[in-house]
Amino acid sequence: MRPRHSFSVVLLLLLIWTGAGCRNSGIIAATTAIAATQSPAETPIPLPNKDGSLKFAVLGDFGTGEQPQYQLAEQMAILHGRFKYDFVVLVGDNLYGSERPQDFHKKFELPYKPLLDAGVKFYASLGNHDAREQRFYKSFNMEGKLYYAFSPKPNVRFFAFDSTYPTPEEIQWLEKELAASSSDWKIAFFHHPLYSSGIRHGSDLRLREALEPLFLKYNVSVVLNGHDHFYERVKPQKGIAYFVVGSGGQLRKGNINRRSGMTAVGFDTDLAFMAVEITGNEMYFSVISRLGQTVDSGVLTRRKITR
Amino acid sequence: MRVVGPLTPADAQALATMNERVKEYVALHVKLERSLPKLPKEATPEQIDKNQRALAKLVLEARAAAKPGDIFTAEARPVIKRLFASVFGGPDGKQLKASIMDENPVTPAAIKLTVNSRYPDTVPLTTVPPQVLQTMPKLSEDLEYRFVGDWLILLDVHAHVIADFIEDVLPK
Repeated sequence: MRPRHSFSVVLLLLLIWTGAGCRNSGIIAATTAIAATQSPAETPIPLPNKDGSLKFAVLGDFGTGEQPQYQLAEQMAILHGRFKYDFVVLVGDNLYGSERPQDFHKKFELPYKPLLDAGVKFYASLGNHDAREQRFYKSFNMEGKLYYAFSPKPNVRFFAFDSTYPTPEEIQWLEKELAASSSDWKIAFFHHPLYSSGIRHGSDLRLREALEPLFLKYNVSVVLNGHDHFYERVKPQKGIAYFVVGSGGQLRKGNINRRSGMTAVGFDTDLAFMAVEITGNEMYFSVISRLGQTVDSGVLTRRKITR
Repeated sequence: MRVVGPLTPADAQALATMNERVKEYVALHVKLERSLPKLPKEATPEQIDKNQRALAKLVLEARAAAKPGDIFTAEARPVIKRLFASVFGGPDGKQLKASIMDENPVTPAAIKLTVNSRYPDTVPLTTVPPQVLQTMPKLSEDLEYRFVGDWLILLDVHAHVIADFIEDVLPK
């Protein structure tokens, strides 16, 4: 067995030593430093992996059909062997280029076959590279809708938003859904990030103007996005945790602006996906690279506001 | 909600006429779509592709004589350009345009964009900021406003066909 290197020891110590200095932001264990780098492959650090917890993964900007996508998909399958996540949240750009039936096969069904065969469900949102008709694709579980909500457990509700075409009707729908939900955990996912240090794209300020007030008002704890082709855990913004997970297939190497002041942890040297576990008021996360490295991990607490 | 000021009676009339053309298009679209097997909400890629191409074929045949201006009428075009000039001339105009031009470096003329043709598979869909959608006349879910370069596209979503366009609609 490979010895665990010092990086992992530091992670473990920090996990035990939770809380200090970070509680104001809601993140109670930030376990890696900015610009996490990879050393040779190591076993991903397991999440708590408790019985009865909600386990899922997050993936974005992945549908290239090329080898790196397949290699990351292998890591997702390996993790599933140890950490039985029930579903994967897709933050858009699910298929790049043409979308013929053979493209669905090559860019989605084949790389994730082990997961699909194991009964893992995928819940998609659409990115700017996705044809609108993907909403009818059975494996994306959108049931013909461009925006929708679902509750995998009674206390957790996900809101899939179509950020490429946010009509007034859609924004009204989101507000209505958020207001009607009494779930402890409200998690929004869509393609364009409200906060991102991407040099290529960066924060979508106009979308932020429309959505952030709703997230604040209705107690959204976590927002999952893609579009920028890297992984970034943004420093909590007004108490909300934002993650950019556009690192599923098409890396934009070195694209994180290190001087944005927003980055808690950034990883832009290889592909990565995110594994998440929610238990009670805590959400554990672990970000795993194409080489099987854990490049970020931690735990955050849900927002609790009184209105 | 409109983010720009009230329209003049002439402008309102021009947009009302455009709306009528949109309704006529949607009526045709619905009629053609009903002649095809209904796409299930949980479809295979084969079903999606077959349905979309079949609908596109019917639309292309039904509108074989379509030309720019059939929906975005000659009267409506300057109104839309003025609306856009107001929106993009505001304090957020630069950011709004940047949001649209993100991953949209296409020169429409270079890719020979034509009315009543399939939207090019290689061109990603642009983001359309909420502020722009609040300004434009509302569409049914069969149609969307998009941009290719600085051209405004009216996209038939189900058929993946360009129903009409306006050239050079974004202020320089």
